[in-house]
Amino acid sequence: MKRAVVLLLLALLLVACARVLGIRPAERKPFPHHEHVTKGGVTCVQCHKGIMTATENDPLHLPDTATCTSAGCHAQPHDPHPCKDCHGLQSTREEAQMDLDNLKFQHLTHNRSLKGNCAYCHQGVQTNSDHVRPPMAVCLTCHEHQDDFAQARTCDRCHRDIRGEGVRPTSHVAHDGDWLREHGNRAYSARDLCATCHADKFCAGCHGLTVPALPEKMAFDDTLRAGVHRAGFDSRHSLEARTQPGLCTTCHATGEFCESCHARNGVDVGSGGASPHPPGWVGTRGERNDHGPAAWRDPSICAACHTGAGEQLCIGCHRVGGVGGNPHRAGWTSNKRPTIDQPCRSCHEGAP
Amino acid sequence: MRRALLRRASLLTGALAFGTPASASADPYRLRVDSVGYTQSPQSPVGLIVLQGDDKANQYVDGEALVWAGSQSGNADVLTALVRLHDPHNYGELRLGRQLLTVGALRPIHVDGADARLRAPTGTSVEVFSGVPVQPQFAYRAWDWVTGGRVGQIVGQNTTFGMSYLQQRDDGRVSIEEAGLDFASAPASWLDVAAHGAYDLVDPGLAEATVSLASRLGDLRPEVYATQRSPSRLIPATSLFSALGDTPSQTVGTAVMWRMFPRLDVLPMVAARSTDGDLGLDGTFRVTLRLDDRGDGAITGELRRQGSGPDRWSGFRGALRVPVVARVHASTELELVAPDDPRGRGSLWPWGLVALRWAPIEHWEVAAAVEAASTPTATREVNALGRLSWAWGAR
Repeated sequence: MKRAVVLLLLALLLVACARVLGIRPAERKPFPHHEHVTKGGVTCVQCHKGIMTATENDPLHLPDTATCTSAGCHAQPHDPHPCKDCHGLQSTREEAQMDLDNLKFQHLTHNRSLKGNCAYCHQGVQTNSDHVRPPMAVCLTCHEHQDDFAQARTCDRCHRDIRGEGVRPTSHVAHDGDWLREHGNRAYSARDLCATCHADKFCAGCHGLTVPALPEKMAFDDTLRAGVHRAGFDSRHSLEARTQPGLCTTCHATGEFCESCHARNGVDVGSGGASPHPPGWVGTRGERNDHGPAAWRDPSICAACHTGAGEQLCIGCHRVGGVGGNPHRAGWTSNKRPTIDQPCRSCHEGAP
Repeated sequence: MRRALLRRASLLTGALAFGTPASASADPYRLRVDSVGYTQSPQSPVGLIVLQGDDKANQYVDGEALVWAGSQSGNADVLTALVRLHDPHNYGELRLGRQLLTVGALRPIHVDGADARLRAPTGTSVEVFSGVPVQPQFAYRAWDWVTGGRVGQIVGQNTTFGMSYLQQRDDGRVSIEEAGLDFASAPASWLDVAAHGAYDLVDPGLAEATVSLASRLGDLRPEVYATQRSPSRLIPATSLFSALGDTPSQTVGTAVMWRMFPRLDVLPMVAARSTDGDLGLDGTFRVTLRLDDRGDGAITGELRRQGSGPDRWSGFRGALRVPVVARVHASTELELVAPDDPRGRGSLWPWGLVALRWAPIEHWEVAAAVEAASTPTATREVNALGRLSWAWGAR
């Protein structure tokens, strides 16, 4: 009984939220193409006048109220408002305008090949779909994609300016899920694929060393934008860095980057700030000495502050014969010559 | 001072040279200018002007640049200033200038240099690059120069793989030498596979590797991935910290994007991490509801738990973006972070922002925000942010 009540409440909630969740579209119904074309026997050109000879530079050939009321079709409209206010989706018209703006496309040349068979491409017409615009997959049933895209990675043959279009891929490398983490792994094999839409400055906007401000800061008003350094990253960056050893190093060079920022914000020891290390960080034999395991776990975090001249702090204790003992992990080997190559000779020079 | 002025002048000239519209060309070009200011409490306010543009001069030449200048004296720099020469079919390509190199399995490098690529109709490509490091401002040079390349092959329309090599030298010595393998394929219309690995040649061993499988199953997009990363091999071999020993960390995780309803997306993510014998679980649960069919307005909520590593924490983030009236958007964001071990840094670190964006006329946009936080270093911090933008063409 209790379960039934809960289920009933959930069902009621779902019905109440149907519009919010997009289950029941707030917009009107799509235009009934099927009823006009298949049942009514109206040809496409009766409403879309001039479409058969339309070139890239012609405007959209969408019917207006005068078209609907002409030729005795809807001689007495039931409403004084323009037909398009209620019939057909605004989004469909916007999609058509987007295509006109962004694609190198002529109905004229396509009509020559298809001989007036509009439904060959506009398959949605037959089902009264919301999406009358043919998807790109329909274009590829005729147009060879291999030469233009798969090899030369250019979309220019069909798209006027793919970067300016601002579209996201849907059929391949869809930017869904945890794309922020995933994008790097995808980009390794396909920089030129990414470059069809993204300029170099887009990538450098995060990965570059001379970034004026991170995208999250520049577009502070876009709070739904994905970003590694979004929201309160300043507070949690030390937590994030320790969670995934080496991750910061994949973009940030060790040394100067962390050190300069900490000095600028007065949170380093040199500028009077507190030591970031907890009690028990460095101790003599028999005492807590946490810095060793931490350094093995993620030496890049140590290098963030102690690189360069800061290495002397380590060498002071860990040089051969020093009080700190051997800092290498058990089983560690190297091809370097201990007394000749850097950084080995910093500790091993002069040692037997 | 004179040097700084000359530097700024050359930067602006460069930007204008790249950004000047080719009047007779039908090819697209874009220009954007942003002026940003924020109070940066408790320090002095910061102002920033950013100019960016890209253009296709003709079918052989295109270029892009982003330059910026800050309010502090001598604070200006170039992010990218790049000319790309290529044949109309992209079989040959030469990129000259300041650029971000992302070659095969090797990590992105910001350089002043050249990158040349040849592609054969058979799908084979050969790429070589060389450059010197980009240095922010007048900082000392982190290393001397870098060189490398990649050989790649496209198989069919959906598979590509390659081998890459990089050598970076500092003070006459090899500081990084890596070889990489990369692979990406969409063997079926519902499956994407990608993998890469970088191998350290100085102290031989795997520096970094990732394998990822993603699927498209209607409204579901599950992804599984595994990563291994060795921090000691990611830092230059000339650093003392590269000689402590190899302690790689491994991560295995999954993310499942589910379009539960037409306007509602649910994204649970779970990852298990192992570092030096320490195993932990990280998890995120994100829900996004679009408030209209186009997603102009949306609300998102995210719960996060970092249960691996020595500094574990839990957090919540919520964000809202909503069109208020025509050309005006309001947005807000709230984040709460609770570290397991506060260590005197406060038990809760809140961060919040309220912003308003107005596009009064075409090409122009103005935005303002107030940001407030309580951080480990400042009990109370309030900042104001503002931006005035002009954009021609797309962003």
